[in-house]
Amino acid sequence: MARVKTLNDNILIKEVKKEAENISDTGLNLNKIADHLFEGIVSESESITNLLSGNAELAASLKETVSQTESVANSSEEIISGVNELAASIEQITGNTQNLNSSIAEVASSIDQNTRSVQSISANAQEMATSAVQISTSMNELASSIKGVSNETDNLMSSVNETASSIEEIARSIKGVAENADDLSSASEQTSSSINEMASSIEEVSATTENLTSLIEQVATSIEESSKSSQSIAQNVEVISQASLNASSAANQMENSIKSMTKMTKQAEDIGNRILKDAEEGIGTAQKSIQSFSKVTESMIASSKVITEMGKRSNEIGRIVDAINMIAERTNLLSLNASIEAARAGEAGRGFAVVAEEIRNLADRAAKATSDISDIIRSLQEVAQEAVDSSKEGLKIAEEGNRMAENSLIGLNKILTGVKDTAMIITQVAKATEEQAQASQSTTKAINETTAQVKHISIASNEQVKTAQSIAQNALQMKKIAQQVSIAMAEQGKTAREIIKAAQNSSSLASLVRKATAEQAASASQVTQAVESMRKGAALTSKAIKEQSIAVEQVSKEASRLSTLISHVTRSVSEQASASKQLTVATEDIRKQSDQITKGIVEQSKAMKDINMAIQNITKQIFKITKANKEQALTVDNMLGSLKNAQKITESNSNSVKLLKNNAQDILDKSKTLISIVENVS
Amino acid sequence: MKTINNSGDSYIIFELAGTKYAINSQYVKQMEMIENITPVPNAPSFVEGVIISRGQVIPAINLRKRFGFDKIDFDIKTRLIVVNINNRSLGLIVDTARDFIKIDKEQIKEVPETITALSGKYLSGFVTVEKEPILIFNIEEAINLTEIVEKV
Repeated sequence: MARVKTLNDNILIKEVKKEAENISDTGLNLNKIADHLFEGIVSESESITNLLSGNAELAASLKETVSQTESVANSSEEIISGVNELAASIEQITGNTQNLNSSIAEVASSIDQNTRSVQSISANAQEMATSAVQISTSMNELASSIKGVSNETDNLMSSVNETASSIEEIARSIKGVAENADDLSSASEQTSSSINEMASSIEEVSATTENLTSLIEQVATSIEESSKSSQSIAQNVEVISQASLNASSAANQMENSIKSMTKMTKQAEDIGNRILKDAEEGIGTAQKSIQSFSKVTESMIASSKVITEMGKRSNEIGRIVDAINMIAERTNLLSLNASIEAARAGEAGRGFAVVAEEIRNLADRAAKATSDISDIIRSLQEVAQEAVDSSKEGLKIAEEGNRMAENSLIGLNKILTGVKDTAMIITQVAKATEEQAQASQSTTKAINETTAQVKHISIASNEQVKTAQSIAQNALQMKKIAQQVSIAMAEQGKTAREIIKAAQNSSSLASLVRKATAEQAASASQVTQAVESMRKGAALTSKAIKEQSIAVEQVSKEASRLSTLISHVTRSVSEQASASKQLTVATEDIRKQSDQITKGIVEQSKAMKDINMAIQNITKQIFKITKANKEQALTVDNMLGSLKNAQKITESNSNSVKLLKNNAQDILDKSKTLISIVENVS
Repeated sequence: MKTINNSGDSYIIFELAGTKYAINSQYVKQMEMIENITPVPNAPSFVEGVIISRGQVIPAINLRKRFGFDKIDFDIKTRLIVVNINNRSLGLIVDTARDFIKIDKEQIKEVPETITALSGKYLSGFVTVEKEPILIFNIEEAINLTEIVEKV
C-alpha cells in the first residue's frame, strides 16, 4: 500500500520537477529579456541624457540669442528715444554691463573653484570605488570559503543520514517530501505573487513606455517647430542683414551728398562774398552819381538863372528899341509935316523940302533898323525862353535822375544787407553741413558695426538651425528606440502571461503533492521523530551555513552594487567636472560677449537719429526674432520638461526592470531549490 | 521913298488894308499920331469921335469903317491925316502914312470901268510907282463933308 502511494508520489514529483524545470527555463528567458530590456532602457536613458544636454545647450544658446537680440532691440529703442537719453542710459548700461562682467568673472572664478572641488570629489570617489572593488573581491573570496564549509557540512550530514536506519530514511524522506511540498507550495505562491507583481510592473512599464512614446513624439514635433522657427529666425536675420547693408549704402550716399553740399555751400559763400563786393562797389558808384547829379542840378539852375537874366535884359533892350522906334515914327511924322509945309511955301520951301526928305529917309532907316533889332530881340527872347524851358526840363530830369540814384542807393543797401544775411546763413549752413558730415561718418560707422553684429547673429542662428536639426535627428532615434522598447515590453508581457500560467499549473500540482504528502506525513511522523533530533542538528548547521552563505552573497552583491554605485558616482562626478568646465567656458564666452555688448553699446552711442528708420526696421525684425526665440525657448523648456518626464519614466522603468530581474532571479533560485528537492525526494 | 520928279503935284501916300493910296497934299493941313479920341454920341459908325488938334476940335473918321474894312487897333504907325476941305477940317484915320511924293498928271491913268462902277467916285485914277500900284484918292468925292459935319 505504501509502495503504491510512493509510486504515485513519484509520478507527481516527476511532474512537479518537470514544471519546476519549465519555470526555471521561463525564469531564465525572463532574466534574459529583462537584461535586454535593461540594456535598451540604459541606451534610452543615455540618449535622453544626450538629448537633455543638447537641449540645455540649445536653451542656453537661445537664451543667449534672446538676450543678444533683446539687448540690440533695447539699444535700438533707446537710440530712437533720443540721443541725450541714449548717452546717459548707455553709460548706465555700460556700468551695469561692467558690473555684470565683474560678477560674471566672479561667477567664473567660483565655477573654477567648483570644478576643482568636483575634481577632488571625483578623485576621492575613484579611490572609494577602488576600495569598494577590493571589498567586493574579498567578500567573494569569503563567500567561496563559506561555500566550501557548507559542502563539508553537507558531507557530514550525508554520513549522518547514512548511519540512520532505512525506515528513518523513508520517514525522513517522507517528512522531507512534506516539508519540501510545503516549501514548494509557498514557493509557488511566492512565485505566483512575484510573477503577478512582475506582470503588473510590466504593464506599468508598458503604459509608461506608451506615455514615453507619445511624449517623445510631442518632443519630436516641438523640436521640428523649434527647427522651423530657427530657420525663420535665420531668414529674418538675413532680412536684417540686407536692411543693414541697404542702410549702409544709404548712409554712404548720404555722406557723399553731404560732401557735395559742403562744396556747394563753399561756392555759395564765395559767390556771396563777390556779390557783397559788387554791391559795395555799386553803392560807391551810386553815391558818386548822386553827387554828380546834384552838381548837374546846380549848374542847370545857374544856367537857367543866367538865361532868365538874359531874357530880362533883352526885354529892356526891346523897350529901348520901342523908344527908338517911337522917335523914328515921330521923326517921320515931323518930316512929312515939314514936306507939307514946304510944298505949301512953293518955290521958297524947296530947300526945306529936300532937308525934310533926308530927315524922313533917316527916320525910315532908323525905323527899319529898330524893326530889325526888334525881330532879332524877339527871336532872341524866344530862344531864351526855349533855353529856360529846356533848362527847367533838364532840371526836372536831373531831379528825377537824382531820385532814381537815391532809390538805387536804397536798393543797393538792401541788396548789401540781404547779401550779408545770405552770407551769414551760408556760413551757418556750411557749419551745419560740416557737423552733418561728421555725424554722417559716425552713422556710417555705426551702421557698419550693426551689420557686423547682424552677421554674428546670422552665424549663431545658422548654428542654432544645425543644432536643432541634429536634435530632431536624435529625437527620431529616440522615437525608434522607444518603439523598440514598446515592442520588447509587449513581448515581455506575453512571456509574463505564460509564466503566470505555468506558475498557476505548478501551484495546483504543488497543492496535490501537499495533499499526498500530508497523508504520508501522518504515517511517517512516528518514524521521523526518532531521526529528528539527529537531522535537526545537521539541518540547523546546514541552514545556518546556507543562511551565512546567502548573507555573504548578499554582502558581496551589496559590495558590488556599492562598487557600481561608486563608479556611477565617479562617472557622474567626472561628468559634473566636465560640465563645470563647459560651464566655465560658457561663462567665459558670456563674459566675452558681454564685453562685446559693452563695446557695441559704447559704439552705438555714436549712432544718429538719421538712421532711426533703418534701426526701427531692424528693431521690428529683432522683435520678430525675439518673439520667435522666446517661442523657441518656451518650446525648448517644454521639451526639457517632457525629456525630464521621459527620464523619470525611464528611471522608473529601469527600477521596475531591476525589480523584475530580481524577481526572475528569485524565481530561478527557487525553482533550482525545488528541482534539487524534487531530485532528493525522487 | 523917291520922288518921281520935281514937277507935278505933291501927294502923301497912305495905306489902308494893304492897299496904297495917294492924297494930294494941297488938302492936307497936317499929320498926327492918334493920341486921345473923344467919342461923340449919335455919330455915324465910321466917326470915331473928335480930337483936339492945334486948338481946333476936329472929327476923326475911321476910313476902314467908312470903306467897309475890318477895324484894327491903333498903334504907333496909325496916322491921323488932317485935311481941309471947304475951310472945314477933318481927320482921316489910316493904317499908316509915311511917304511924300510928286506925281505928274501924265502918269495918272484912269481907273478901269469895272472898278469905277463900284468905287469910282472915291478914286480919280491910279499910278504905278516902282511896279506898285497906288490909287489916287478923290477926297472931295470920298467924304461928304456936309453930311459928316452936320452930324458932328
